[in-house]
Amino acid sequence: MSERGRVTLRGIRKVFGKFVALDGIDLDIEPVEFFALLGPSGSGKTTTLRLIAGLDTPDEGTLSVDGVDVTFAPPGERDVAMVFQNYALYPHMTVRDNIAFPLKMAKVDSSSIDALVHEAAARVRIDHLLHRRPGQLSGGQQQRCALARAIVREPKLFLLDEPLSNLDAQLRLETRVELKKLQRNLNVTAIYVTHDQEEAMTLADRMAVFLEGGIKQVGTPSEVFDRPNCVEVAAFIGSPPMNIVPAHLDGSALTIEGHNVPLSRTFDRAPGPITVGIRPGHLRIDPDGIPTQLYLSENLGESRLLNLKLGDVLVKMRVAQTEPIVDGETVPIAFDAESLHLFDADTGLRVEAD
Amino acid sequence: MNVHRRARLGRTVVLMVVASALLLVWVLPLIWAFIVSLKSEREVLAYPPSVVFDPTSLNYVDALFGDFSIIDSLMTSAIVSSATTVLTIVLAVPAAYAFARLRLPAKRSLGFYTLATQMVPPVGLVIPYFLILNRVGWLDTYHGMIIVYLTFSLPFAIWLMVSYMEDIPWEMEEAAFLDRASRLQTLWHIIIPQVRGGIAVTVIFIFLNAWNEFLFAVQLGGNTVRPVTVAMYNFVSVEQTLWAKLSAAALVAMLPVVVIGIAAQKQIVKGLTVGAVKGGARQ
Amino acid sequence: MHAGERRFALAITTPGLLVLILTTTFPLMYLVWSSFQTINLAMPFLDGFAGVDNYVQMWSDSRFWHAIQLTAIYTVSSVTLQILIGLGLALLVMQIPAGQWIFRIVAILPIVLAPVVVGLFWRTLMLSPNFGLVDYFVQMLGFEQVNWLGAPTPALISVIIIHTWQWTPFAFLVLLASLASLPLDVYEAARIDRANAFQRFWHITLPLLRPAIVIVVIIRAMISLAAFAAIFAATGGGPGTASEILNLYAFKTSFVELNFGYGSALAVSLLVITMVVSGVLFHLRTARHKVGQP
Repeated sequence: MSERGRVTLRGIRKVFGKFVALDGIDLDIEPVEFFALLGPSGSGKTTTLRLIAGLDTPDEGTLSVDGVDVTFAPPGERDVAMVFQNYALYPHMTVRDNIAFPLKMAKVDSSSIDALVHEAAARVRIDHLLHRRPGQLSGGQQQRCALARAIVREPKLFLLDEPLSNLDAQLRLETRVELKKLQRNLNVTAIYVTHDQEEAMTLADRMAVFLEGGIKQVGTPSEVFDRPNCVEVAAFIGSPPMNIVPAHLDGSALTIEGHNVPLSRTFDRAPGPITVGIRPGHLRIDPDGIPTQLYLSENLGESRLLNLKLGDVLVKMRVAQTEPIVDGETVPIAFDAESLHLFDADTGLRVEAD
Repeated sequence: MNVHRRARLGRTVVLMVVASALLLVWVLPLIWAFIVSLKSEREVLAYPPSVVFDPTSLNYVDALFGDFSIIDSLMTSAIVSSATTVLTIVLAVPAAYAFARLRLPAKRSLGFYTLATQMVPPVGLVIPYFLILNRVGWLDTYHGMIIVYLTFSLPFAIWLMVSYMEDIPWEMEEAAFLDRASRLQTLWHIIIPQVRGGIAVTVIFIFLNAWNEFLFAVQLGGNTVRPVTVAMYNFVSVEQTLWAKLSAAALVAMLPVVVIGIAAQKQIVKGLTVGAVKGGARQ
Repeated sequence: MHAGERRFALAITTPGLLVLILTTTFPLMYLVWSSFQTINLAMPFLDGFAGVDNYVQMWSDSRFWHAIQLTAIYTVSSVTLQILIGLGLALLVMQIPAGQWIFRIVAILPIVLAPVVVGLFWRTLMLSPNFGLVDYFVQMLGFEQVNWLGAPTPALISVIIIHTWQWTPFAFLVLLASLASLPLDVYEAARIDRANAFQRFWHITLPLLRPAIVIVVIIRAMISLAAFAAIFAATGGGPGTASEILNLYAFKTSFVELNFGYGSALAVSLLVITMVVSGVLFHLRTARHKVGQP
C-alpha cells in the first residue's frame, strides 16, 4: 500500500562505558516487512531497536526513516510505536484509557478517540475488557492491550521487544500466528527483537542475525537457514543447531576423523584444516560410514535425537523412533555430501565451491 | 488433649497475659487521662484517686467554650498544618521525582544536602528564626509560621517520596515518551497517579508532625498564632494546674491526630518501615 | 535528548531546593554568625562582635559539660531501652495467634500524640506527688514516695522514662513489621537442623533483623538528641539543671536569659555533636555492609 516505514541505518556505533554494544552496523529494512533482529543476549539487537525508537541516541552513524534523518529526533517525532517486553501498561488506567493515551497526547479530539480505541481493541480481540485494569488481566490479555496501544495510532513503524517471552509455551505459539496476521492486516513495517531463532524463522520476512555487537548475516529465513555465511550463524540457527565438526580439505577430498567423504565440488584452496557444518537431519546411518559412539539418546516423541561422539566432538543426529539403537553401541554415520557447509577454519566464513 | 497441644496452649496463654500486661503500660496513662477529664476539679484532688465518681462533661465544655477556650487554637493548628502540608507536597513531589528517576545534575550532592538538612536540631533553627522573624516583623504571623514549618516538613517529604517513586517500573517513562507525552505530562498523568498511596502517607506524616509541633509554635507564635500545643498551657500556671480541664483540652487537641492515627494505622506503619528499612538501605 | 531531561529535572527541583536553602541553610548560617556575636536582648548595650568569646566561655562552662553528659545519658539509655523493650514486645506479639491488631492500634497512639502533651500528661497525671498514678502505685506497693520531678536523679530518670514510653512503640511497630516479613523457609530449614528456639533467634532472627534495628537506632538517636517538648513540659530542664540536656540549655540561655549569642554557640555545638554522631552511626552501618554482614 505505501512506501512508508523504510528504515536505513548507516555506521551505527553505540558504546556504554567500556562495553561496545554496536560496532558500526548497517541495515536496510524495507517498508511493510516483518523484520526480525535475532541474537543472543548482549548481541546488540535490543540496543538497535531502542535507537530506532529514539529511546537512545547512537555515538556514531545515521538513522533515517523514509529518507528523513531521525538520528537524534525524539520518539514523539518519529511516528513509531513499541511493545515492551514487560508491556509497560499504565496500571492505574483502564484498558480503554491505556489505549486512548497516545491519542490523547496527540491531541486527537475525544469523539474520534472512542471509535479508534474500539477499533484497535477489536483487532486484538480485547474490546470486551475495556473497563478492566491491567492488574485484572491475564498475561496474554495484557500483551494484547500493549499491542492495541501500539497500533491505535497507525504508526509507520511497529517495534516489538521480545513481546512473547513472558507468555507460557502454548500461548506463545498461538500468539505468534496472530501477530503475523495482525502485521499483514495493518500493512505496517514491524521490527521484532528476539533471541528465539525458531520465532524469528517462523515470523520474519527477513532477519538480521546479531552476534557480539555486529550483524553477521541479513536475509530471508530460508537464506539464513540454507546458506549461513559464517560458522557462528550456522551454529545459532536451527533446532537443534547445526553440528560443527573439524575436518581436513584437499581439493575435493574431505577427511573427517580419518574417513574420506567424497565431495562433488572442488575448492580452490591450499590443502588444510576446514570446519564442516551439517544439520542433524542430513546425517544417516550407513554401515560403511564413520564410526561414532552413542553417548545419549533423547526421545522427542515423533523422532529420536542421538548424541554421538565423533572423535572429540558431540554430534546430533535425528532418527525415526523405530530405529533400533542400543546405548554404548557404535553407530556408523554418513554425511550427505550435498548438504555440507564448509567454513574457513580460521575466519569462520563460509567457503564456496568454484 | 495431648501433651504437646496442652503445652502450646499453656504457652500461648502465658504469652497473652504477659503481652496484655505490657500493653497496659501504654494504655493506662491514656485511659487515666480520659477518666480525669470527666472529673470535677475537686474530685480530681481526691487521694487515693477515685475510680467511681459522677462523670461530668463540664471540662470539655469549658475547654471549648470557656475562658480558656481552645477553639481558636484548633483553628490555628488546622490552618497552619494544612497549609504546610499542601505547600510541602507541591514542592516535594516533583523534586522527589527528579531525584528518583531523572538525570538530575549533581544528584548525589543535592541528595546528601537534603538528607543533611533533616539532621539539624530544631533548637538550632528556632534561635536564628526568632532573631530573623523579629527583625522583619514576621513573628506571630501565619505566613511566618508556615514558612518555618516547611523547614522540617520538606526534607522529610522528599526523602519519603523518593522511596515511593523508585517503586514504579522503569519502562513507564519510555512508554509514555513513545506515546508522545511530554515530561510534564508523564509526571502528571503517569507517575503521580501511581504514587497516590505514597503521597497519602506523606500527607499524613507531614500533617501529624505539623499539628504536634511545639518549639517553633511557642517561641515564634504569640496571641494571633497559637496552635493547640501551646494552648495547653492555658491550663497550667505557676499557681495551679487545672488537672481535669487540662486533660479534657489535651484530649480534644489530640483528637484529630488520634483519629488519623487509628484510621491510617496501616499506612503509618508502612510509612515508618518504608522510611526506616528502604531509606536506610539506600544510604 | 539527555540535556532536555537534565533541564527538566533541574526545573522541577529548583522551587523545593530554593525553599530548602531559604528555610534551613540561611538560618543556619545566621546561627553560626550569631554565635560569634554578643546578642543580649536583656542588655542590648552589650551587643557587638564577640569573636570566639562565646566558645571560650563554653569550653570552661561546667553547666555546658553537664548538659553534654546528660544528653549522652539520656540518648543512650532511651534508645537502648526502646530497642530492647520494642524488640522483646515484637517477638512476644509475633507469637500471638490472633489479636495482633489490638497491639498495633495501641502502639500507634503514643506515637501520634504531641510530645508536649505527653510531657504534660506524665508531669500531672502520672508523676505528681499525691496525685499521679505512678505515685499511687509506688505507695501501694509499699515503697517510699519518690519525688519524681523535684529531685535531680529521679527527674532525669523520669524524662528518660517519658521519652522511652512515647517512642518504644515506634521500635515495636518497625520491628514487628520486619519480623513479619522474614522468610519462613529459613526457619523451617533451621528446625530440621534441630536448632532450638533460642538458637533460631540468635543465629537467624537477629542477623536478619540487624538492618532494621540499625536504622531504628539511627533514627531514634537523632530524634533523642533533638527532643525538646516533652522534657520542657515535664521538668523544664529541672530541678535546677538535673534534666537539662544540651538543647534545653541552649533554649534557656536564649529565650529565658535572652543571651542569644551564647545560646547560638551552644546550639552550634549541639549541631556539631549531632553531625558527628550521625556520621559515626552511618559509617558503622556501611562498614557493616562491607564486611559482608547481612
